[in-house]
Amino acid sequence: MSNENVMKGAMGTQLLLLSVVVLVISFGFAMMSIMSQGHASFNTNSNIPWGQPIATYLYFALASSGLGMIAALPLVFGFKQFYPIVKRAIFLAFIILISGMAVLAMELGHVFRMLWVIPFNMQIQSAMFWMGVFYVADLLFLLWKMQKMDAGDWDSKTSKQIAIGSFLAVLLASGNLALIFGMMSMRPFWFDGLLPIYFYLTAVASGLAALVFFTYLSHGFSRNKMSQPLQDLMNGALPKLFAAVLGGTLLFIAVRAITGVYTNNPEIYLVWRDYLFASPVYQASLWLGILLPFVLMLSKSLRNQPGTQMLVAVLVFGGLFAERFYFVVGGQVVPLFKGTWEWDLIQYSPSATEWALTFMGSALLFTLYLLGEKVLNLSAMPPAQK
Amino acid sequence: MAKWGMVIDLDKCTGCQACTTACAMENNTLPGESWQDVLYYHEGSYPSAQMKWLPRPCMQCENPSCVHVCPTRATYKDMDAGGIVFVDWNKCIGCKYCMIACPYGVRFYADEKPLLEPDLRDIFPGQKGQLWSPPYQNPEEDWTRGIGVQPKGVVSKCTFCHHKVSKAPPGTPDLDEDNPALKEYVPACVRTCAPKARYFGDLDNPDSNVNRLIGDKHGVRLKDSSGNKPQVYYLGAGAGVPAFQPKPRS
Amino acid sequence: MKLLETLMNRRRFLKSTAATGAAGAAVGGFAGLSGLAPAKQAQAQAPRGQTTVTKNICAQCPARCGIDVYTTNGRVHGIYGDTGNPIANGKLCPKGHLGSYFLYDPDRFKGPMKRTNPRKGRDEDPGFVPISWDEALDTVAARMQNLRDKGESHRFAHFYGRGWGASDAGLYGDFGKLYGTPNSAIGHASMCAEGSKRAKQATDGNNSYNSYDYKNTNYILNFGASFLEAFRPYNYLMQVWGHMRSKSPMTRITTIDVRMNPTMAASDRAVYIKPGTDGAMALAIAHVMLTEGLWDKEFVGDFNDGQNRFRTGRRIPRGSFNAKWTYGLEEWWNEELKDRTPEWAESITSVPARTIIAVAREFGTTRPAMAIMERGPTAHTNGTYNGMAIHALNALSGCMFAEGGMYYQMGPSYGGLPVNADDFMDDYAKSVQGKYPRIDKARTPEWPMTAHMMQEAGPNHLKGDPYKMDTAMFFYTNPIWSAPDPKVWEEALKDVFIIDTSHFPGETAMYADIVMPDHTYLERLQDSPTYPFEGWPMAALRVPAVDPIYDTKHFGDTLIELGKRIKGPMGEFYKALNNTENVLRHRAKGFERDPGDNGVNSFESWKEKGVWYKKPYHWRQFRGEFYEWDGQGYNHLMSEEEVKAKLIKTPTGKFEFKSGFLENHADYIHREMGVPTHRVGLVQWVEPKHSGEGDLYLVSPKTPLHAEGRSGNIPHAIANHQPIVGGKTTVYLEIHPDTARARNIRNGDKVRIKSNLGSIEAYCRYMPAHRPDTLVLPMEHGHWAQGRWAKGRLPGHSGDITENVSDPISGLAAYYTGKVTVERA
Repeated sequence: MSNENVMKGAMGTQLLLLSVVVLVISFGFAMMSIMSQGHASFNTNSNIPWGQPIATYLYFALASSGLGMIAALPLVFGFKQFYPIVKRAIFLAFIILISGMAVLAMELGHVFRMLWVIPFNMQIQSAMFWMGVFYVADLLFLLWKMQKMDAGDWDSKTSKQIAIGSFLAVLLASGNLALIFGMMSMRPFWFDGLLPIYFYLTAVASGLAALVFFTYLSHGFSRNKMSQPLQDLMNGALPKLFAAVLGGTLLFIAVRAITGVYTNNPEIYLVWRDYLFASPVYQASLWLGILLPFVLMLSKSLRNQPGTQMLVAVLVFGGLFAERFYFVVGGQVVPLFKGTWEWDLIQYSPSATEWALTFMGSALLFTLYLLGEKVLNLSAMPPAQK
Repeated sequence: MAKWGMVIDLDKCTGCQACTTACAMENNTLPGESWQDVLYYHEGSYPSAQMKWLPRPCMQCENPSCVHVCPTRATYKDMDAGGIVFVDWNKCIGCKYCMIACPYGVRFYADEKPLLEPDLRDIFPGQKGQLWSPPYQNPEEDWTRGIGVQPKGVVSKCTFCHHKVSKAPPGTPDLDEDNPALKEYVPACVRTCAPKARYFGDLDNPDSNVNRLIGDKHGVRLKDSSGNKPQVYYLGAGAGVPAFQPKPRS
Repeated sequence: MKLLETLMNRRRFLKSTAATGAAGAAVGGFAGLSGLAPAKQAQAQAPRGQTTVTKNICAQCPARCGIDVYTTNGRVHGIYGDTGNPIANGKLCPKGHLGSYFLYDPDRFKGPMKRTNPRKGRDEDPGFVPISWDEALDTVAARMQNLRDKGESHRFAHFYGRGWGASDAGLYGDFGKLYGTPNSAIGHASMCAEGSKRAKQATDGNNSYNSYDYKNTNYILNFGASFLEAFRPYNYLMQVWGHMRSKSPMTRITTIDVRMNPTMAASDRAVYIKPGTDGAMALAIAHVMLTEGLWDKEFVGDFNDGQNRFRTGRRIPRGSFNAKWTYGLEEWWNEELKDRTPEWAESITSVPARTIIAVAREFGTTRPAMAIMERGPTAHTNGTYNGMAIHALNALSGCMFAEGGMYYQMGPSYGGLPVNADDFMDDYAKSVQGKYPRIDKARTPEWPMTAHMMQEAGPNHLKGDPYKMDTAMFFYTNPIWSAPDPKVWEEALKDVFIIDTSHFPGETAMYADIVMPDHTYLERLQDSPTYPFEGWPMAALRVPAVDPIYDTKHFGDTLIELGKRIKGPMGEFYKALNNTENVLRHRAKGFERDPGDNGVNSFESWKEKGVWYKKPYHWRQFRGEFYEWDGQGYNHLMSEEEVKAKLIKTPTGKFEFKSGFLENHADYIHREMGVPTHRVGLVQWVEPKHSGEGDLYLVSPKTPLHAEGRSGNIPHAIANHQPIVGGKTTVYLEIHPDTARARNIRNGDKVRIKSNLGSIEAYCRYMPAHRPDTLVLPMEHGHWAQGRWAKGRLPGHSGDITENVSDPISGLAAYYTGKVTVERA
């Protein structure tokens, strides 16, 4: 066993402390401004109801789903070479989803009311209702699977059934999440029946980025400290999968962009031309956050290098976060029935409070992750695979 | 039960915004929270330019997409209230999905940055759970239908002045403000409309004046392609709303 | 004693208010009230408390719409048009609903105050401290008494803007007579719309705005009256617009204006014209109507032989035209009109000749057809002549006093006051009568044809010509902000003892030594005879909806209380007058003899219904004959003398194309305007003199949400003020994109607008629908003291760059005649 998880040591403790401090500060700041000013502390408004907190939630929820899908490779489909990352993937999926939900909770007008009004009113027509159902199911399956794995139960019948259930929950949750946007015909920038596929691809991409990053983090950014199966995975299937998924993501962005720019419908082409492509941040995130990683991962010599992998993971973090942000905001920047009251695309940039929520979510994720590394053995594998 | 409908004759509307301010004061909305708004458009240039305008209440759609997306049934279409779409402020969780799903942009989340400083909400701070409590607020209040001043964290919208309309004698085909016996039951925007560009009546009653006007003057519904089937009809030239185009910067 | 009296008044006032509440609740036929009672549906919650409705009149513009004020538990929460009021008919304009803001305005003056900082200026905090009403009244009265004792009572001046009726501005005349000042009161007419009044005085002898029979007209030729924005009575105009645009036949409307606006947009034809040149277009229309034989022969008259001899450029023989109700047509044609061709007008106005011909043919062939106007054409140095040319079209179309035409307003059947001021003039008052000119020099050789010249009062005081004011009292006017070139006023009023009576802070109030705040209109008992409307007489009444919520006082009562404190017979007069309610009770006695159509025949019924009115209008011109109402119908055929006495009050008793009124001041007009003395009477084209050296015209229109002096501080009004280009938190300068681009100005840039007086800043928006040579900046913001929302809000105030230039004839400040430059700030 060459597992030398540096997070169990002093460095992990220091990082944990740092994460807790960031968490407390960001949560405290966000809570105080929401308590004192309400959602006036956001830069969202009646014209742009969904802003960066929703994008952050979306980012986290999809990263979680992506991790769930990656975990299904060994657990459901028998790609055994992925066993070395599966427990960490399931754990990360769980805590990232928790972090995302925490951000969403701070964004809603009445979060606690949600707990009873949704189940008591059973509005099955609403995709938002199903989002609740599927992500709760997802969360429960993840927890259950985690508990099974932690107990060393890798391949009992129940454990396998849980894995299948978890995979289905992930597919339904993220696919449905896509439809929350994709079914909105009144928001043509989003309206797209294939949006779930795009969400699956980008989910896996962001899941892989998280997985690579946190795997390296737990091994002190050193390949040598990894177990042999993990090293094999990092030298083989995982970077290939990463490259393929990034390619698919690019393809999807390209076809959406091409149809978007091609159409005469101003509610679509204006978003692409005057909002997305007009933004240096979006351009940077597209070229540096998605295309560059794809190019790097295409190269056989580069993609297996730890440095490349870590760089790609970080770039993809940023690239996909921007992708989520511009996706969410882009669907709303064309004013709906505002006449001269809104004479341009609606301007939106997140407020300090909204940034605090993004930081809070990230800090919560790090905190939970580091606690997990300390308490659990996230590098565990089925005995047969060792 | 009647199916309440509104007819807006753009050939008579003068774009004065009395509907907007009557609504704002009747329903105590904040500046910018224009449940009823008038939208202005201009095209072309001197000396042959055109300018037009469009009053825009909630369309109270027959097939309201906002209702379909609400995860809590907080927003609902009340067939016992003439098909008005309400928000139950006791159920709304402030997810704002309905605002995303409304093709007409008629829903408001007033828990936002104030349009004008100083903030009216600081000058008339909220009492008894209200977002703000203006001294001139309407005594009518029914949170299950989104009537009155809303609490924080919920979506608000036009109620077709349900607190007035609901008190009309049953079976009234048209709520005509010129009839002194009915004027108190007429929605604020219709009641005050000086050129009488707005009409309010029962779309289920073939004898109602609103149906006659829709028939005679070829009433149209905004963005009919949305499939939402508004219960608000427009008459006359000008119902063609130009698509959004950003204004030239330089 | 005084204290006791005040208390008594207060108690009586409270009693009357309580009674009003009861009366309001008992208004017959108010079926809605039962609807406001707890509802039957289980889920609907009951309104919190009982609702009463009181009658009032909106005070946010001159229209005087009757309103129903809804009050529950002592809180006003709703304002709707009064169904029983003939102007409102249950409707309101966008301002009307916002009235509750006035009452609950957080910036209101809450009681009388005095100044503690002797220095005055924009940046000086007045240091107001509350005082009692007795102290306030005693201070002012002592000052007035002292002036009178010194023989300088003329140095006391009243200034007012929106006077309402017998219970406030109606008291000024007697006050000045008894006290001994020619300056009671200086009205704001010359900063309002005096031009159209003078144009009508010069042509048909009525120094008045018109009443109009819009309901029956088939054509409106609208010169710069923003019918759907600010023309009065706006609310009624919109009602009648709805009627005109759906009646059979539909009234056709052509609008001539210098900018795109809702009236232009809603009209059948929008004609853009170069600022100040409307008169040229009107003359060309007259030219076409005459050459094509489209004039109303029954009113105007005809050639003796029935052959039309009007040929472009050719004179008609003297005596060949047999005029009927007009005077001077031959001379007008020969000396002016024969050369005023559409092609000529195109060169002046920029309106294509073919458009002018088309408009003239429409106007000339449609009956009834009327030409209306307001400040657009008249707020220029040639305003009266522009107005006369436009009004001449109403003679040519024969719509004067005709069905679907134009009338003049009849006054209400008011009773007399309990006392006659003439009986209370002491020797001093008699001795100073006519001794001093007014401070604004209106009706002096400097401004012989004007009624008021308020914009001159500040500059005159500064010069000490004709004298220096000592004390000035302001009611519903704010010249330190609203006068052209207001900075002169800022300087001028520094050494004047100022009393302001506004209930909210304003620039003039910031100069006040004593503030004696009025009630808001929802707290007042106040009468208001109608502005010119449909002609038949009407007088509405404000009934307090609630007790005054602060320590304020009805301005009429303030005046009366001051009067009581002056020694001698003047004090006796005001003690007899007692208070405004007493004044109103005596005015209402007139209704006992002449009950209104709605049954109002007493003070009490007036309060209950809120309005007294009596239809119909008493005169009617029909096919060139005038008839008078005899109680049954228009049966009495009027003689020429009767017409002259009652309707066409010119020297000739005819509609004058050659004005005797102007000819009486020929030398003055020649001197001031360069018109040859023998031509001054003609309806003619006179070039406007634009102030400033800029290359662009600046117009500063009012919009529908321009609530007299207050919308700058009403959040909902600010938010909706400028929908044309979407000004939500500011008012944008509207500029044609070509004009902007030529100056490197981008859409949305902050710009500087400069005139000879200085510059103001604004954000701009491109508006391609405006003339490229005209900048449009709706007047509203740029206050330096008007409350928390108004203060410091861009854009700057258009008045700051508007030179104090006036039409020499009417005295109307030429607000729209300035030329400016614009650049990126």
